[in-house]
Amino acid sequence: MLRCTLLPTALVGLAATLSAQDLLVRAKTVVIAPDAVLADGRFLVRAGKVAYVGQDVPADAAAKATAIDCGDALVVPGFVLPPTTLGRDRDLAEAALPFTPDLRAVEAFDPWHEELAKLPHGGFTSAILSPSPRNIAGGLGALVKPGAGGGSVAAPDLHLALSLNAAARNPERPPTSLMGAVDLLRSAFAQAKSSAAAGPDVAVLHSALQGNRKIAIAADTLSEIQQALDLARDFGFDAVIVGARDADKALDRLVAQRAAVVIGGLAPEMRLAQLQFPARLAEAGVPFCFTGRPDQARLSAALAVRHGLDRKSAWAALSRAPAQMFGVAGQVGALRQGCAADFAVWSGDPLDLGSALRAVYVDGARVHGELPSAAANPASSPAAGVR
Amino acid sequence: MIRSLPLGAIALALAALLPAQDGVTVYRNARILPGGAPAIDNGVLVVGGGKILAIGGADTKAPNGAAVVDCAGKTITPGLIDASFRAGNTPDMNENGDEVTPHLRVLDSLEPADPSFVRARSAGVTAVHVMPGARSVIGGLGVVLKTHAKDPQAMVVKHDASLRIVMGAEPSMGNRAIRGGSVDSIYYRRPTTRMGVVWAARKAFYDAKEALEKSADAPPATPSPGVEVLTRVLRGQVTAVTTARSEQDLRTALRLAAEFGYRTVLDDAQDAHMLVDELKAAQTTVMLGAPSATAIAGSAGADGADPRSVTARLLADAGVPFVITTGSNAASLDLVREAMFAARNGISSARALDAVTIEPARLLGIDQRTGSLQKGKDADFVVWSTDPLDPAAAAESVFVDGIAVQVLR
Repeated sequence: MLRCTLLPTALVGLAATLSAQDLLVRAKTVVIAPDAVLADGRFLVRAGKVAYVGQDVPADAAAKATAIDCGDALVVPGFVLPPTTLGRDRDLAEAALPFTPDLRAVEAFDPWHEELAKLPHGGFTSAILSPSPRNIAGGLGALVKPGAGGGSVAAPDLHLALSLNAAARNPERPPTSLMGAVDLLRSAFAQAKSSAAAGPDVAVLHSALQGNRKIAIAADTLSEIQQALDLARDFGFDAVIVGARDADKALDRLVAQRAAVVIGGLAPEMRLAQLQFPARLAEAGVPFCFTGRPDQARLSAALAVRHGLDRKSAWAALSRAPAQMFGVAGQVGALRQGCAADFAVWSGDPLDLGSALRAVYVDGARVHGELPSAAANPASSPAAGVR
Repeated sequence: MIRSLPLGAIALALAALLPAQDGVTVYRNARILPGGAPAIDNGVLVVGGGKILAIGGADTKAPNGAAVVDCAGKTITPGLIDASFRAGNTPDMNENGDEVTPHLRVLDSLEPADPSFVRARSAGVTAVHVMPGARSVIGGLGVVLKTHAKDPQAMVVKHDASLRIVMGAEPSMGNRAIRGGSVDSIYYRRPTTRMGVVWAARKAFYDAKEALEKSADAPPATPSPGVEVLTRVLRGQVTAVTTARSEQDLRTALRLAAEFGYRTVLDDAQDAHMLVDELKAAQTTVMLGAPSATAIAGSAGADGADPRSVTARLLADAGVPFVITTGSNAASLDLVREAMFAARNGISSARALDAVTIEPARLLGIDQRTGSLQKGKDADFVVWSTDPLDPAAAAESVFVDGIAVQVLR
């Protein structure tokens, strides 16, 4: 017990020491963003953020910084996990009431939550903590991060989480049916459109309709997806459809309404059409990312590449796409100047399943793995590079 | 003749597989039962662009280059219309949060890929009227749909086609009376009785009538969406459809309509044979549900109706307008078999077929588009292997808007 309490304190101390000084991260390949890949790249981390990238790193700052030399490894932005309750459904589903848009997921955030601490094991450095889809209007999501000294909230009150899926239709409280659920949202949006001063719950919808936050709607069947898109069309917002099982049948509408989708993870035994769907989405220009367990996200992306998805889109699906969908692209999902220094060091392209995760950093502090040494790992294959 | 038969079969299959909307197709040598008009022997049906271009006898002109399908020995009818059709999964069709939800739209709960649409169209049904489930006193607004369309939105023929009201035991079934103890469920509430069901309906219409009267003197305040729908019913802008099975419930339905001055169609109406004169006096149309069924099934069984096979004939003889539907009875047969059953029990074949084609189209207000084979209407039709009221008849090819949705060999 004594050790348990001492250990986090020691780690907090370590993190503080690291962030106090600039870090210079060097690697044979640095992926700043899917379409910005640096060969023999480097970036400077100051106060937990990316301060300079590539040629912009000032020589004197580079000389003074602590160097992290990743050799011929690959440094990529940390992955961003799209809406999740991180297994804390009981804390994030106020299911007795169907309409609670003003509840905040951040109030149920536990910095010492085990699943949060495990995120870096899959290369993830942040997650969109979201109210459960068991409510028609569950509340507001938050961007959270794991950390050696406990997790942190990077952005509270992010997106508005709505749900039309089967989980939201509860026979023990109204609405019990899809038509009832649609009616509830439609009348709430109508009220929100006409006035901001109709109580704290409607005010949240009003603010979302003003464009202040993204609106994500959980919907699986074609009719649920259509209802979600109808709401988006009639009340003028760009929807993020979460779950989206039948999205292939509504592809034209998704494109026309500039919607984004969070689709289920892929597994090798799935039907070909499902495995090829990410490639179709990319071709149609619909932003997408994968739900599911964080340890399966990389497999999903790799399977999508195996079935025709280009690598840039696959990388984006793990990092930049979810960040953009939920309005946090300025903070996470890329290693551009000003973004958080959330990155992972891989022995090769993470989309090649033979590549190993070496280390993960959140806000410039190592949360997983070993400090990379300058010596190149003989196990890393030359074929596992970036195209 | 021997050679032309298989050729005809191939042509039929081929025409069905090709997108019929692109070209013009001529169906020749069929017996055509156009719906609401006399039969045409050796008839010709010309279809193109999803519409009927021409219909008539053997001398009907067809454009050059049109594909020709020999239908010798076959019978062509309009696509059937089921005016009271069960679709969707039950929980989503019934909003159990409240007994009175006039403004809810059943369309919002419907899945275009619902298997009931596939079953219906393979049995020759090309349009259906779907209402919310029967577990509410006033469940909401019904919709008329084609049973197939490329785009689900295109399935809709008519929005807000009806307001469903339900009499009898069914709407009160899940509810429990509060008898001490803690109230831990939304189902502890009224109505729990038949009279409670009527009370709920009466209160709703009373409120709507009051809103209507108030709006006559003063500029209308914004009424609740439910009241707004009910005022439209009171003004005669939305058709009320009251589901009632037993004699007592049918009488209650007529009484309630008379009390508030709206017209109602009676749905299911198994006991209609007991009050033919009253139905005639009230000028009510009956949607006769599953005339073949000998009992009412499922949760409606408690309604205690006494179905008779002669009901259709009694209504026809008395001049009460009626259509035949599959209704809410899970024991119902395919719609064409229900028409066959009614014909076997004393109405003419033509009348039986009209009761599942042009009559429901008129009742639902969609007869400008479908329900009979007339120039300019949608190409919704069925090629039957023989007379459709023959027990052995099969719907060999079914077309919705000129698109083949069923092809048998």
